[in-house]
Amino acid sequence: MEPLILALGWLGLYAPLALGAVGSMIGCARAGSAACGALLEVEGGYGRYIGVAAMPSSQTIYGIVVTMALRRELTLENSPGIFGLGILVGVAMLYGAIALGDACASSINVSKSKLEVFGISLAPAALVEGFSVFAFVFALVLAAAIPK
Amino acid sequence: MAEPYITLVSSLPYLPPFERAERSPITRLRLEQRLHNLEPDDAKQLAIAEALVSWRMSLAKPKTDKDMVLRYRAAVQEISQPALREFIEFRIDQQTIMAGLRQSKTVFESAFLEQVSGASRWAGFIASHWDIPDFKLAAVYPWIPEARNYLENNDACGLDRLMMNIIWRRLGKIAESNRFGFEAVFAFVFKWDLLQAWLARDAVQAKSRFQELINEVKNDH
Repeated sequence: MEPLILALGWLGLYAPLALGAVGSMIGCARAGSAACGALLEVEGGYGRYIGVAAMPSSQTIYGIVVTMALRRELTLENSPGIFGLGILVGVAMLYGAIALGDACASSINVSKSKLEVFGISLAPAALVEGFSVFAFVFALVLAAAIPK
Repeated sequence: MAEPYITLVSSLPYLPPFERAERSPITRLRLEQRLHNLEPDDAKQLAIAEALVSWRMSLAKPKTDKDMVLRYRAAVQEISQPALREFIEFRIDQQTIMAGLRQSKTVFESAFLEQVSGASRWAGFIASHWDIPDFKLAAVYPWIPEARNYLENNDACGLDRLMMNIIWRRLGKIAESNRFGFEAVFAFVFKWDLLQAWLARDAVQAKSRFQELINEVKNDH
C-alpha cells in the first residue's frame, strides 16, 4: 500500500506540468492552425495572429510553477494531498489550454475579416485565461498547507 | 479530431449577406484552391452535393422532376456525412414543395406523385392534400403562403429572394453547429454559390462586371 501512495504522490507532483503541457500543445495547435489559415486572407499584421496562437502556452508555465511549489520529499503524510491537488489543477490546466485554443482560433477567424473587433474578440480568451489563473493561484495557496 | 478544418475555415473570407453584397469576396478558382485541403472523401461528397442541390446547378437541372428524383436517389447513396445529407434532404423537400405549388393548378396529384415519388418525404403528403393551397404544410414550412403569393404574382425575383434567404439561414445554423468542421466548409460553399447566383441576377452589376472583364482582357493583350 505504501508504494502505491508514494506513486500517487509522484503522479500528483508531475501532473500540473504534464497535463498543462498536453493542453498547451492542443490549444496552440488549434489556434496556430487558425492563424495559418488567416495568413492566407490578410495582407499584413501576421505577428498579431501568431502571437494570439501562442496564448495557450501559459498553462504550461502555470504547471511548471505549481509543480515547483509542490516539490518536496514525498512521504505517506503528504503524498495524498499532493496527488489530489496536482491532478485537479492539472486537469484544470489541460482543459483551460484547450478551451483557450478554441477561443483564440475563433478570435483569429473573426478578426481576419474585421480587424476592429480584434481586441474585443479576445475577451472570451481572457475569461478562460482568468479561470486558469484562479486554479493556479489557489493551487499555490493550498500547496503551502501540505506538510513538508 | 472534431474540428479538422480549422486552417481551411480560417482561410475563407467573410461572406456578407447576399442581398447586401456588392461583389464576391473570393473567386471560384481561389475557393477551389482552398478546398484542396479537404479530405478526399469529404471533397467527393461535397462535389456530389453541389451537383445535386446547389442553387446554380438547380438552374441546369434535368428537364423533368422525375429525372431529378432519379439523380437524387443515385447520388444520395454516396453521402455519408449526416449534416450534408440533412441539407440535401432539406433542399429536396423545398424543391418538392415548390414543384407542388407550381403544378397544383395544372396537373393532377397522381401525375405529380408519379414524378416526385421517392424523393421527398412530403411527396405523398402533398399529393393527399393536393387541393389545399398550402398542402397543410404551412405549420412546418411557414414560407409556403408567401412563396405561393410570389408564384401567383409571377414575382420570380421575390420568390428567389425568399428561397435564398431560407437556405442562407439554414446554412448559417449548420455552420454554427461545427464552426471549424466539414459543416462550416460546405455551408460556406453553398452560401458562396447563393451569393454568386444573386450577384449574377443584377443586370447593372453584370454589365459593369462584363465591362471589367473586357478591360482586363484588353489590358492583358
